[in-house]
Amino acid sequence: MEIHQVLVTAAPADAITNAALEIQRLLHRIVPTSKVYARFIDSRMGSKVLPLSDYPRGSGRPGDVLLFHASIGEPDVREFLLERPEQLVLIYHNISPAQPFLEHDPVFAALLEGGRRELADLAARTRLALADSQFNADELVALGYEDVRVSPLIIDLTGLRRVPPDPRTEDLFCTRATGPRFLFVGQLLPHKRPDTLIKAFHILTTYLIPDAQIALVGAGRLPRYRRSLERFVQELNLPGVWLAGLVTDEQLVAFFRNADCFVTASEHEGFCVPVLEAMLFDVPVVARGVAALPETIGDAGLVLPPDGDATLLAEAMAVTVRDADLRSELVERGRRRLDAFSADRARTTFLENLATVV
Amino acid sequence: MDEPLGTPLSDVDRLVAELRERVEQRRRDGLVPDDLEEELDEHFRRIAAHRIPPETDDLEEALEELNLHMAFGAGRIRHESTVLGGERFHRAVGKAVARQTHGVLEQVQEFADAVRQVLRVMADALENPKVHVHDELIGMFDGIHERISAFERGPVHSEAAVADLRRRVEQLEEAESKRQFRPWFLNERFEAEFRGSSSELLDRYRDLALEFKGCSPVLDIGCGRGEFLELLAEAGVDGIGVELDPVLVQTCRDKGLDVDTGDGLSILSARPDDSLGGIVLIQVVEHLQPQQVVDLVALAYDKLRSDGRVVIETVNPQSLYVFAHSFYVDPTHHHPVHPAYLAFLFREAGFREVRIDWRSPPPVDDVLVTSESDDEVVQENVRRLNTLLFSPQDYALIATR
Repeated sequence: MEIHQVLVTAAPADAITNAALEIQRLLHRIVPTSKVYARFIDSRMGSKVLPLSDYPRGSGRPGDVLLFHASIGEPDVREFLLERPEQLVLIYHNISPAQPFLEHDPVFAALLEGGRRELADLAARTRLALADSQFNADELVALGYEDVRVSPLIIDLTGLRRVPPDPRTEDLFCTRATGPRFLFVGQLLPHKRPDTLIKAFHILTTYLIPDAQIALVGAGRLPRYRRSLERFVQELNLPGVWLAGLVTDEQLVAFFRNADCFVTASEHEGFCVPVLEAMLFDVPVVARGVAALPETIGDAGLVLPPDGDATLLAEAMAVTVRDADLRSELVERGRRRLDAFSADRARTTFLENLATVV
Repeated sequence: MDEPLGTPLSDVDRLVAELRERVEQRRRDGLVPDDLEEELDEHFRRIAAHRIPPETDDLEEALEELNLHMAFGAGRIRHESTVLGGERFHRAVGKAVARQTHGVLEQVQEFADAVRQVLRVMADALENPKVHVHDELIGMFDGIHERISAFERGPVHSEAAVADLRRRVEQLEEAESKRQFRPWFLNERFEAEFRGSSSELLDRYRDLALEFKGCSPVLDIGCGRGEFLELLAEAGVDGIGVELDPVLVQTCRDKGLDVDTGDGLSILSARPDDSLGGIVLIQVVEHLQPQQVVDLVALAYDKLRSDGRVVIETVNPQSLYVFAHSFYVDPTHHHPVHPAYLAFLFREAGFREVRIDWRSPPPVDDVLVTSESDDEVVQENVRRLNTLLFSPQDYALIATR
């Protein structure tokens, strides 16, 4: 029996690519020939991921399994999947909603919209759908999927704990300002609402903690949107905001190790790995209770109501860094929360689910 | 203001309600303006929309003005004159050269239309750069911006800095070369003198080799004369050795063992992830620098497959006897690694099972003795001293991934 994985895009530091490689590590114990294929491959990936055009066309048997990681729309991949004889298992990490992108990048919005349409097209062809959160599972059911199960993301966070922090980044982060250090990790995309976060930070430094600083760590994939944020920061005169862009693992660890509070204003997350990373480094989490965030955070963070505005967020940020009891309670809960997402547990759940189709 | 919230998180809803109340209070007190958020939103929307009108209003006006003057015609040529009969004269001349005048006017009109068209296109281009050639320019700006950000994140280079760096590297190299230990004696002779005969070592480590049953392949870092590799072979386990000393490597190869010359950590890090079933270091970690020990544990986790095993056997710093007898015999011993610390490292790295096996108790003849006739206090004190002084000389840490 063969089990292979297919993704649209493979790139380093990409959550979906990492998930596929983790699954491959696991599958290698059972099916040593298991491979990962992608339509578009970043050159830095080396030979870990193979081009989809190399997929052995004549080979598939109906007992074999194709694991497809659904992301943005790509007609070639859709065609490929609809033609193959293997059983299709869909893994859904969520597709960002198109709406917030319309204003900033209509082309990208169309790709996302396409992804969602393809997802609906594949429903009938899919034998089993795995979602890494209940929130994602609900979306699949709404799109017409029948056998949908929640199978948590397999993430080996302990690896991050073994990465030494980048000293230059530590130095910069710690000497830019004297006040508490806030951290957001995630791509600078409209649905993650970095604008709201900057707004909250503006309120925080104007009325509550003047010497605070915040680092927004993550790629700005839409240049125009990123420029707008830069300009917003500039016009509000906020030297405490650091748009750090895409960073290495060493730099990321430097941020986590020195942050006093992890904060996100995001209004759409299919899972949100950075929240768990914050817990790994004993950084208390403040977020809004939207999408999959409440189920990922559980009781281990300060989860604000979905309609909470930036002023409330600023207030929550302030109390989290000022109230020592609250901090230690959140950190303690964070450590406990991590157990629920242990990689071993996720691996077991994944294999149990996979076993139902092989 | 901003007192701690008393009962943190015992009830998140209550905490949130208190925070909301604070916000309301601040607004009531006029500390935070009511419409601040809307204003900020509007501000960002304006930036995001990027429709800041270019300064083309004056140009538009001038273009409009131009239109008024665009009707060329012979009729607009003035004929009046202050001289009696002059006007008639001008009209007569006008009529006489009408054909030429008309020809010139046509050409002027043609030229003016073309100029007006050019101005129109230029005005449009200024007003809406997006639809014209500027896309490429914007792309270039993005590229430059990206490179500047990358540069700002990276280290700053300058000739002076590089020169300074080179000088410091040379100093470090010189200092380091003085610290290097390059003895003229053969390691093989040293091992024979102080580590015991090969057959003694075989007996001493047979039980540890059995820990690797079913764990092929096992990498033996610092394999010395290859005794442990022989024991692995005896247990039916594939072993690969790494050793720094080329003479010892040759000794191993003469025995038919698979051994590479080199630094164990480099060879370990060059291996593919998940490719090893076991890693063993016998009397090696006490030679390493603290950072190397930390790196070793992280690498071991990456390179071992699940259920893979690490065995590290080393001197036990909890036994003071060790320091009087064996530890300082080897001048290349860096410092002993405490079992509690080593176990901590392995657990932190993610190993699921970590245990310590105590080994090589000091010879019975050296241990302090009491007789039953001794006072109870004396007996207890001797017992305590024995624990401090004569604990087992070595320990083996056995960790399972």
